[in-house]
Amino acid sequence: MIIERDRAESAWYLPPIVSGLMLTLHKMIKNLLHRKEMLTLNYPEEKFEYSPRFRGNHVLTVKKDGSLRCTACMLCATACPAECITIEASEHQDPSVEKYPIKYEIDMLRCVFCGLCEEACPVDAIRMGPEWQRPGTPTDSFIYGIQELAYRPSLKGGITSDVDDQERHRYGI
Amino acid sequence: MLKCTINGKQYAVPEGASIIEAFKLAGESLAHYCWHPALSVAGVCRMCMVSIEGNPRLQIACNTMVTEGMVISNQSHAVKDSVKWVLDFHLINHPLDCPICDQAGECGLQDQYMMFGKYTPEMAMPKQRKRKVVSLGDRVVLDSERCILCSRCVRFTEEITKTHELGIFHRGDRSEIGTFNDRPLNNNYSLNTVDICPVGALTSKKFRFRQRVWFLKEKKSICPGCCTGCNIKVSYNSKGVFRVKPDCNPDVNGYWMCDEGRDLCEKTQSVDRLLKGMSKYGEEKWQEGPALKFAKQACDDLSALPSSSVALVLTAQHTCEEFEALIQSFKSKFKSKKVYYWVNRPEDFHKFDGLLLRGDRNPNTVGLLQILEREGFKSTWSELLSDLSSGATQGVIVAAPEFPSFYPDFSEKLYELSRAKVLTCLTSRPIKDRELLPGQRWLIPLKSFLEKEGTFINYRGVQQKLGTPLELVPDAMTLSDFARILSGDWLERQVEPLGSQNVINEFMKTPMRGL
Amino acid sequence: MEVKLLSEHYHHDDFREISGYQKRGGYEALKMALKKKPQEIIDEVKNSGLRGRGGAGFPTGIKWGFLPKNGEPRYLLCNADEGEPGTFKDRVILERAPHQLIEGMIISAFAIGSHKSYIYIRGEYVKSRKILEKAIKEAYAQGFLGENILGSGFKHDLDVYSGAGAYICGEETALISSLEGKKGQPTLKPPFPAIEGYLQKPTIINNVESLASVTLISRIGSQAYRKYGTEKSPGTKLFSVSGNVCKPGTYEVPLGYPLMDLINVECGGLRTGRSLKAVIPGGSSAPVLTAEEAQKAFLTYESMAELKTMLGSGAVIVIDDSNCMVDLLHVLTHFYHHESCGQCTPCREGTGWLNKLCGTLMSGQGRLQDIELMDQVARNMMGRTICALSDAAAGPVISFVSKFRSEFEFFVREGRSKIKGGPHAQMHH
Repeated sequence: MIIERDRAESAWYLPPIVSGLMLTLHKMIKNLLHRKEMLTLNYPEEKFEYSPRFRGNHVLTVKKDGSLRCTACMLCATACPAECITIEASEHQDPSVEKYPIKYEIDMLRCVFCGLCEEACPVDAIRMGPEWQRPGTPTDSFIYGIQELAYRPSLKGGITSDVDDQERHRYGI
Repeated sequence: MLKCTINGKQYAVPEGASIIEAFKLAGESLAHYCWHPALSVAGVCRMCMVSIEGNPRLQIACNTMVTEGMVISNQSHAVKDSVKWVLDFHLINHPLDCPICDQAGECGLQDQYMMFGKYTPEMAMPKQRKRKVVSLGDRVVLDSERCILCSRCVRFTEEITKTHELGIFHRGDRSEIGTFNDRPLNNNYSLNTVDICPVGALTSKKFRFRQRVWFLKEKKSICPGCCTGCNIKVSYNSKGVFRVKPDCNPDVNGYWMCDEGRDLCEKTQSVDRLLKGMSKYGEEKWQEGPALKFAKQACDDLSALPSSSVALVLTAQHTCEEFEALIQSFKSKFKSKKVYYWVNRPEDFHKFDGLLLRGDRNPNTVGLLQILEREGFKSTWSELLSDLSSGATQGVIVAAPEFPSFYPDFSEKLYELSRAKVLTCLTSRPIKDRELLPGQRWLIPLKSFLEKEGTFINYRGVQQKLGTPLELVPDAMTLSDFARILSGDWLERQVEPLGSQNVINEFMKTPMRGL
Repeated sequence: MEVKLLSEHYHHDDFREISGYQKRGGYEALKMALKKKPQEIIDEVKNSGLRGRGGAGFPTGIKWGFLPKNGEPRYLLCNADEGEPGTFKDRVILERAPHQLIEGMIISAFAIGSHKSYIYIRGEYVKSRKILEKAIKEAYAQGFLGENILGSGFKHDLDVYSGAGAYICGEETALISSLEGKKGQPTLKPPFPAIEGYLQKPTIINNVESLASVTLISRIGSQAYRKYGTEKSPGTKLFSVSGNVCKPGTYEVPLGYPLMDLINVECGGLRTGRSLKAVIPGGSSAPVLTAEEAQKAFLTYESMAELKTMLGSGAVIVIDDSNCMVDLLHVLTHFYHHESCGQCTPCREGTGWLNKLCGTLMSGQGRLQDIELMDQVARNMMGRTICALSDAAAGPVISFVSKFRSEFEFFVREGRSKIKGGPHAQMHH
């Protein structure tokens, strides 16, 4: 739709410009006086503090000895609505562990961050952490493997769970 | 026939039937672990409790015979309560490791728990610990903790294979399945113990941890391993074929199948297959190309020869429909009577292991011989060889066996056949260069038994259908497809299937087109 | 008061030898019996009303009547696998009067038409077995066993087979399995052993005392035998009394005798200063009686049934007030956990569960609901298995928990026994 401006004063732009600048000046002075109420952040020097329940990048938790907690039961892959989890299981040397993943991949571009994997996990092996997605260029760098999910530098050697494995094994669970 | 009432409904069951059989016939559900229709009654799991009118005690259905006018129920409160408790007894020492256990998803304990249980466990004490991951033989792994000691596997080795490898050792809740003197469970039917194990105590070394069962689809088929033609269920998904289980057919294989038969399905995977058409002339290198195109060119090559000098060699590892189609189009095209059949060592044909496996390792010998007899083809192998050396036969079409491993003289015979000027070998397996003499050679990829429809006729003449086909090698064709190309009435396929290499789609080369 | 019919000559040391046995009328009954028709002997035993002395109390003559009436080979087995805690009466017969048993077996075998019989003896009874083997040798030498016994044309062979110490092998089908060389586990009934038993042939299994009583009945006749005991429980029976009495031992009393008289008269009563707390009247599998109930109890099958317990094998275990019932029950649950064959799930898992529950109570870690749970577990083990071991394990638990609940609750609340310091009865053997 085209609005025809037939009146002469409508061609005169100065008043709106001035009123706009006044608003800017008003906000600037207000922000200078009340810095705490300011809504914007100086990203990337300043970062937003998300709630602890924020569902960000996946973390595979590890046991005390640093090996993966995951037992490759594939319940996360079963629960995943985006079908972005690929697991390959294998026989573990230790009969009390029995099964462990030799491949665990999450396609972060497919992931919808719904958190169902976290909910489905019976052994607290996958969690969704506070980090948000890392930028990348080629598609491949968005398929996170075990190295990325469990041992990326920001996790500082891996996150352990407070579920006691020794206790669980003693009770045959 | 005896009249009885099951859960308030009248049924007639044959005399001598146990209550559990009556329930099966009536289609009523009844929890059970140790009972198996093909094995003797052990009566140890105590799950199949039923109440019988006039009997104050609950009875086990597997060892109680139906009598005239019996009124049976498994819906009463007493029965349900007893089943719940027996389930609890089963579970108190059963490890809660369903996430690791391979049986999860098809486990009797899980099923029954969902039906009767769903309570919080009463047992607060540590569970009984037993041996885990015990190798019983080349194919089977035992986890004693998961075992509920239903003794099905023990009875199987005692009653079916009569090899007696397994036994229950120790007493009470220390009881464990084991092999005597560590003599391994290595009979050719060992994987049946895995099938009949109602829990995850016995698992197959090959299938273990490769897939969760709920990711698998099932397809019925016929085992191509020998002329018995066992009915099978193939579990597969988009990643391939993972395991084979017997499908019950009382006329053919009962509840069992042999381990060798199970291994055959692996060989249908693309790593072992001829994926594309291949051709070579003389000492040249092999050319690879679409099967359809190559098959047409092969047919043209054969047509160029004098029509009476073309021979057809058939092996009994294909379906009746394929034989029919290929023979008919061969007859009409070449007007030749040179149709030969090629089998593995006929001197082994009478061999039988007493259970299922027979010496004739072709699933459709009867089917092939039937068609050849009807058509009156009586040519012998020696005639073929003399024709080949005299030059009377210059072109040969071979429908090679799907499983050449059953043909000890496969390379030898193929080498003999390659004396022909033009050899068109329809095969599902790659053929090594040294197996062929120089000349015009065509290799056309064939579909495996999982990828086609059709009929096998077993040694007793039982006609069995292969069931709905899967697609494993897209470019492969059946003998019937080839027959249609040979007779020229093939409707040109418009679309050539895409290659499996990492090709960039033409569309993607001009990004943002139209946007 | 004690009536010595069966055990008349047991105090003579030479009674175990064939000379001493024959001197006191031994093998006379056999000579008489071989002149009769087999059916007459069966009728005589039926008329005597002799009830199986092994525990179940099933009439022996009727049991013999279950055999198919054809010429099929059949076996007679003697159950000498006396494993019930508290029972030691068969040992007395085996060691003091082996010939009485052998004679009874030959008569019974003649009656049922069996030419081969076995004595399945408990593995731990090494001495008894030696005596028995010697006695069999003597009997063969005297022509009481073997071809053409005493010129009657009847042929019979007798062998001793030693068990390996499993309680469950005292159950008749398990005994047959063990004798066949298999794992000693009960098998499903039907088929009953009388139709399809040892080597799939009709088989009769009788207790040592029952077979010895056949000798007695053949000698004195069913009428004389019936003079003792009650209408439904005729005759006399050996009772093995153990526990907190002054004179424990094996006593023969007529059935119908009051339980308290056996304890107070024959066994000399309890030690001074002790009072009766409970009595297990028929071996460890029988539900326990409180002191009050014991006053009303008579030693008959029917009186015990009225009190919801059983006469069983006649093993009277006397418990005085120095015993902790929780501790006693733990001994029992431990025994049954150890002895369960492991076939049927409720027994295999239930015995272990009961033992663990009892163990937690004993360690002071128990919860009040564990007492209720023990009762529940036991009730759900009753009548749910192939053999009676599960019932035998559950019976004491239910009776101990219901009759002595306060002691169990005390243990849970205080973490220690209500009865302090007192020496605990040991029922391990």
